[in-house]
Amino acid sequence: MDKYSRATIREFMSPSNIGSIENASGVGHIADNADAVELTVFITVNDGRITDMKYRIAGCTALIATLSVLSREVLGKTVEDALAIDMAQVSGLLDGLPESKWRCAGYALQALQMAVADYRGRAQ
Amino acid sequence: MNKIVYLDNAATTPVDPAVLEAMRPYFSEQFANPMTYAHSSLGDTAHTAVEEARTRVASLINARSEQVVFTSGGTESDNWVLKGVLERASRERLHKPGHLVTAEFEHHAILHSALALERQGYEVTFVKVGRNGIVDPDDVRRAMRPTTVLVSIMHANNEIGTIQPIAQIARVAHERGALMHADAVQTTAHIPVDVEAMGVDFLSISAHKFNGPKGVGAAFVRSHDSLYPFIDGGGQEWGLRGSTHNVPGIVGMGKAAQLGKERLTSEMKRLTALRNALFEKLASRIDRLTMNGDAQQRLPQNLNIRIDGIDNEALLLAMNEAGIIAAGGSACTAQETVPSHVLTSIGCDVKEAKASIRLSLGLATTSDDIDYAADVIPGLVRFLRSMT
Repeated sequence: MDKYSRATIREFMSPSNIGSIENASGVGHIADNADAVELTVFITVNDGRITDMKYRIAGCTALIATLSVLSREVLGKTVEDALAIDMAQVSGLLDGLPESKWRCAGYALQALQMAVADYRGRAQ
Repeated sequence: MNKIVYLDNAATTPVDPAVLEAMRPYFSEQFANPMTYAHSSLGDTAHTAVEEARTRVASLINARSEQVVFTSGGTESDNWVLKGVLERASRERLHKPGHLVTAEFEHHAILHSALALERQGYEVTFVKVGRNGIVDPDDVRRAMRPTTVLVSIMHANNEIGTIQPIAQIARVAHERGALMHADAVQTTAHIPVDVEAMGVDFLSISAHKFNGPKGVGAAFVRSHDSLYPFIDGGGQEWGLRGSTHNVPGIVGMGKAAQLGKERLTSEMKRLTALRNALFEKLASRIDRLTMNGDAQQRLPQNLNIRIDGIDNEALLLAMNEAGIIAAGGSACTAQETVPSHVLTSIGCDVKEAKASIRLSLGLATTSDDIDYAADVIPGLVRFLRSMT
């Protein structure tokens, strides 16, 4: 296993924004048995900008840490800008996330994309 | 330094200070090559030390000294026995590629050696393992073929600690004219290992699993003419294993074997009690917790538990932050994020396998360590479950 950075461990040990949002603007849910992962991302969108993100997660360290930094990073961003966040950017926020963990951590971005798609579907 | 509770003794153990003391002279003072004993008094000292170590290892497993061949460790012993026996029996007796019977939950030193043999045209059957983590001798019997030359079943599994009915399986092998090998890396100096009672023809042993040094092990070889060498070289080890002897390592292994034999009974009793206490405390404080593998036919020092709703990598990292060191799968697969092949072989699905951790106790484990682990782990589980 490539080692986790201290930043990743810190993030994992005290994650931000765990929880759910009642009346969320959009919700994204992923359950993958092969990776033994289940997560739900909730977002609140006001005037096209994300004002809150919360999540529930059963998964690995990398995914928990990614969700935690992502939940802060998206705040105030337009949904378009939030969708542009990629794993390279997340890795930077975590002082380097081993590339072997990017696939699993990528579920965080996928769930966010699904939440945005859900929001857009409701808005139409 | 912060408190460290080391519960990963199945991965490796610390060298006993008495072992280190025994080894120390053989680096710089008594440095001679033991093969020079006939004309060198220095060589004779080193040779005598190697042979004393051999006697101690033989005594630990109830073998004769000349049946103990020193190697670089358990992996080499496993590779050597599988490849050396298959090659020799196939070439000299069968005159066609022979067949190996082993089990799905073996250590990778066995599984990957078996796959290497398959690539070379030999045949291999991987017997399935029961939900309790124990190989059924009848399943081995059904796997036997007229061309079966070797059966290799581990004495106890390295992840779940389940002890296998080696004597019964050896009878099955011998009835069909095959030889019997057991990987005893996890059991030697931890539970009684008696090559006569087990009826094995070969056994693999590793020193660092019982408070000896890394890089040294042994193979018990009942009959020298039953296999080809694996490392060809000089005439060391009756020509069965070339390479200048690792004298300090071998001396350390001998000392560890002697100490292991002396404290075998008391340590079994002590570790069984500590392990049971750890399980009972954890099970009473954490719901949806299950022991993987049979609770009775089990190494005293091994506890493998499944905690539903957690990811073992996350729990292990959180435990490490709290100073508790344990394992998910085996140390040899710790770099992989794939679920343990041992747990999937006994019927766990991926989710269950990734919710499992191994806590392995050792010589240095105290009841304070157990109390600390039993106090801290439940809180970490609650922390992880609170996110779901």
